[in-house]
Parts: sequence; C-alpha cells; structure tokens
Amino acid sequence: MSDFLAAAIRIATPLMLAALGGILSECAGVFAVGLEGMMLAGAFAAIIGAWLSGSDLVGVLFSMLGGAAIALAVAVVAVRYRADHMVTGLTANILALGLTSYLLRVAGGGRPIAIHLTPLQAWPIPGLADLPVLGPLLFVQPPLTYLALLGCGVLAIFLTRTQAGLTLRATGENPEAVFTSGAEPLRVRMLAVIACGAIAGIGGAVLSLQQVGTFTDGMTRGRGYLVLAALIVGRWNPWGAMAACLFFGAAEAFELRLQSFGVPVGSYIVQMAPYLIALAVLAGLGRSSRLPAAIGQPIRTE
Amino acid sequence: MSEPTSSSPVAVPQQARRIGFRLHRGDHLFVRILIAVLLSMLCAGALVAVSGHDPVAAFVALVTGAVGSPHQIGAAFNRTTPYLLAGGGVAMCFRAGIINIGAEGQIAVGGMGTAAVALVWFDDLSAVSTVAALLGGAGAGALWAGLAAAIHLGRRVHEVLATLLLNFVALLLVQQVLAGPLGEFGAGFLQSPLLPRASWLPRISPFNAHVGFLIAVVAAALLSFTLWRTRFGFALRVAGHSRPAAAYAGFSLPLLTWSVMVLAGAVAGLAGGIEVLGLHRRLIEGFSLGFGFKAVTVALLGALEPLAIVPAALFVGLLEAGSLSMQRQIGVPSALVVVIEGLTMLFVLAATVRRL
Repeated sequence: MSDFLAAAIRIATPLMLAALGGILSECAGVFAVGLEGMMLAGAFAAIIGAWLSGSDLVGVLFSMLGGAAIALAVAVVAVRYRADHMVTGLTANILALGLTSYLLRVAGGGRPIAIHLTPLQAWPIPGLADLPVLGPLLFVQPPLTYLALLGCGVLAIFLTRTQAGLTLRATGENPEAVFTSGAEPLRVRMLAVIACGAIAGIGGAVLSLQQVGTFTDGMTRGRGYLVLAALIVGRWNPWGAMAACLFFGAAEAFELRLQSFGVPVGSYIVQMAPYLIALAVLAGLGRSSRLPAAIGQPIRTE
Repeated sequence: MSEPTSSSPVAVPQQARRIGFRLHRGDHLFVRILIAVLLSMLCAGALVAVSGHDPVAAFVALVTGAVGSPHQIGAAFNRTTPYLLAGGGVAMCFRAGIINIGAEGQIAVGGMGTAAVALVWFDDLSAVSTVAALLGGAGAGALWAGLAAAIHLGRRVHEVLATLLLNFVALLLVQQVLAGPLGEFGAGFLQSPLLPRASWLPRISPFNAHVGFLIAVVAAALLSFTLWRTRFGFALRVAGHSRPAAAYAGFSLPLLTWSVMVLAGAVAGLAGGIEVLGLHRRLIEGFSLGFGFKAVTVALLGALEPLAIVPAALFVGLLEAGSLSMQRQIGVPSALVVVIEGLTMLFVLAATVRRL
C-alpha cells in the first residue's frame, strides 16, 4: 500500500509543479494550454544544463529558463498581440516539440545525443524520515518533490495573503478595475505567464532529471493537458490542484499495478484510465466549475 | 479566435460576394500571412546557421527534395492530403468559434474504421469497396467528433479539453484494436494485415500520387461553398462573430456545434481513411501522430478559408516532403520543419490579430 502511495506521489510530482504554474497563469486570465510545451522545454533544458555543468542545480535553473522561454513566446503573442490563448498555447507546444528534438540532434551532430545521468536520489529528512507510515512516504523523497509540496504552500499564501497575489487574481477577474487601481494588467499577465513557464519547466525537470536521467522526444506525452483538467477539478486552488494531481497519479500507479499483476484487461485500455478519468471528472463537475471571469479575454490598451 | 476580418462595427458579417480568396480586404490579410511565413523562414535559417550548416544550401536541398522530380512532387501531394482535409474541417469549426483540437483522434479513428471495413468487405468490385471503406472512415471520425460534442454540450466541458483528451483515448484505442481483432499476428509491431488490393486508392500516373489529393481539393471547394453560399455556412459565420446574434437570429447554437463538429470529424476521418488506403495500405500504430495539431496550423495559415487552405497545406506538405532529403544531403535534422511550423503559426497569430 505504501509502495502504491509512493508511486502515486512520484507520478504526481511533475503534474503538481506544472499545476502550480498553471494556477498563476489562469488566475491572471491566460489559459495555460502551453503547459505541455513549457514542461517539455524544461525537461530538455534541465538535461542539457546538468550535462554541460555537471551540476543538478544548474540543470534545474536551466529548466526554469527553458520553460520561461516558451512562456515568453506565449505571453507576447497571446497577451501583447491578443491572439487566442488556446491556439497560442497549442502553437507553443508544437514549437517546443520541434525545437527540443531539433536541438537534441544538433547537439549530437545529426543523431539524437545520448545523455544518461544518474536520476536525482531521495533526500531523507533526518528525524521525520523515521516516522512509522508517513516517514517513508513524505520524507524520503527526491528534492524536487519537496519543492513541489513547498511551492503549494507558498503559492497558496501568495495568492490569498499578499497584495501582488490579489492584483494577480483581480487581473483574471476584472482587468479594467486593476487598471483603474493604477496597476498594469498587461504587465501582470505577461509576468504571470512567464513565471508559469519557469515553474512548469521545473515540472519538466522532474520528468527528465529526477525520474529517468535522460531526455527523449516528446517525453511529456500529454501530461500538460492532464494538468489543465487538474486545474479545473482543483478549482484553481493550489491544494485542490495538488489533490487532483495526486488523484491522477494514483490512477496511473493503479494502472501500473494492474499490469504487473497480469490482469487480463488489454494494456492499452488500462492506459486510457487517466484520460477517461479526467473526462469523467470534468463531465461530473459540469456546470458547477467557475472560471476566472476575464479568462481568455484580451486586454485592450487604448 | 484570430478571426481574420476587417474592423467592421457590425458584428454580423456581410454575405461574401463570391467564393475564394478575399485579397481585396482592407487589412491585407494574406500579405500579413506571407510576411509571417517569411519571418519564420528567416528564423529557421538562423537556427540552421547556428548548427554550423549553410542555410541557403539547406533551403535548396529542401526545395529540390520536395519538387525535384514528378515522384517527389507526388510524395509531397500525398503528404499534403491529410493536412488539407483535416485543416478544412478545423477551419469550419474555428469559423463558428469552436476550437476543435480533436483532428488527430478523428484521423486515427477514421483510419481504423476504413481498415475495418476494407478487411471485412470481400468484394472484387474495387470502386465499391474502396468507397465503402472511405465512408466507414468518415463515419467513424464523425462519431468520434460527435462524442466530443456530446461531452462538450451535455456536460459543459470545454471543447478544447474534451477533444484533446479524446485524442489520447483514440490513439490508445487504435493500438488496442491492433493488438487484438485487427492486428497481424506475429508482425513484431502493431499493424493490421495488408488490406485487399482492390481497396487501394488508384495512383495518378506521372506523379505516383494517390487520388486522395484530388478528393481533398474537391472537399476544400465543397467546404468553401458550404461556408459562403449556404444557410448553414452563414449561421456558422454569424455564430463565430457573436453567439448572442446567432441565437437572436434564430439559429440553434447546440445544433450548429453538433453539425460542424460532426462535419469536421467526418472530413478528418476521411483523411485517416485516405492515409490508410492510399499510403500505408494497412493500419499502423501511430500513423496519425501530429496531424491533428498541424491541421490547426494549416487552418490558420489559410486564414480559415477552405480554398486558401490548399496552398497552406501544400506549404506544409512540401516542407515535410523536402525535409528528409535536406537531412540526408546537408545533415540538418528534419525536425527543423516542426520548428518552422510552430514559428510560422506564432507569427501568423501575432500578425492577424483580431481588431476589436
């Protein structure tokens, strides 16, 4: 059982980080469809950074830069040029997919360069790690998992307890009011999207640097889209989104379990589970979910 | 939506005078798109230069690889076909303000439907079985899109999420079917047996392109006619500009959403069927990968105008057909083409901003 929960947390970690970024972006009023591309760019940059420098910390910093670079493109086109958020996000995903696989081959002189690093090891927290059930589950995790949990708390405080967080949420609800109050909604949105990219980039670093130690083309495999569903299910609340991500993680862990027990269900049918569950939960929520009022609407600047 | 219209104070668009390119529009839409394409090519050239290759040589290799011989042109036509069909369907949805990202899943399911019909249908009448197989694909695609529409309309799930998540389900469904009933036993990878020869699409002689390309061009013309000359098309355009106006005019928005999604699904399913019957001659795993998103690229590059999507799809098809010989001759990775597609779309989005 505790193996199962540990697997759920492991699978949910990249989703959780991406969700934290997505909350920033969507609360500021910009749909975060580009999360997939930001994660992918982060995953790629993390491996390249760690490989060039030999330091995992540099890898994580690179992943933030990689995610933020894709986010910058989204911010300029969707916020500054007021293009449709959904389509811009998708475009950013295509761009990230192309750029990462192109650069992977350029770095290897024509063939995909083979980088194999040691995945990040668990850091047991002294004292807490010896607790009976929770210890191995929560306090013997790799560093980026702690970062995800910590980030959740920080984001919750930021959104509800600080002036900047209030301005951010107001930009998602009523940009005109923010403008009247003397802030610049356009700048708020651009910063929120770029911060979203940096955080989602770390989510990508979890996939590459922490879990497998290498990068493969398109390795995010739709996780960014699952996070979009998790945001809605979690109602743009950091803790809610974290719970939704853990739920998706548990579904995938359960699926792996079923496969290892040789349950006679087609393996591909079982792999559909996270997507079907996401659809079912969204359909179950139906009309009751409420988006930030001004999400997807461009800010006029005349 | 990057709805490409001039800044008219009236929400309802005027009925266009004739089908086709609307170059006379005041905001030079197609000039802007051309500039966007040029900018992205320049960026791609810079990327090639950074990788230590000669951008001009790479460009020449790309072009000669795409149009160097009749066979290469034919290969480019084949490559263009799915983008043209699926892009047309996506454009119709976008016109109505419905963001359908489900083309990839619809293509996958369409290919599955076509393969299933072709494998079950034992008949020597080649034309009949081919048409039946293609119709099976279109029907399957329409059903898949209808499912997304049902989830969207029935439960208010955003159509982007409904179509996106169903894409993943569709890809896995095809894999499951290939691992089970439609699969070729002992093939080593997931594929169906070779389809009966009678069901293959005929080839056009000098180019060796399959007739699917012609079907796609005819379909684009029909979509353009539907968009500009029928009540349904008018309703789509009104709904795309203003949903309240469409409702006030008496158009049923749910019915519109249903019908345009099913239409787009059918065209995308047809694209999947043509890929299976014309190109692979069997159903293979992942044959639809990436087509769905690029269909969106093509639709926007063609300014959501079904006939203008023909050159847009040709642009993408030629790029992709030429990319492999660029990789072989110059050593520039063919993934550069995906970068060009992404950049082009970003520039097009920025250049064709709606005027409020």
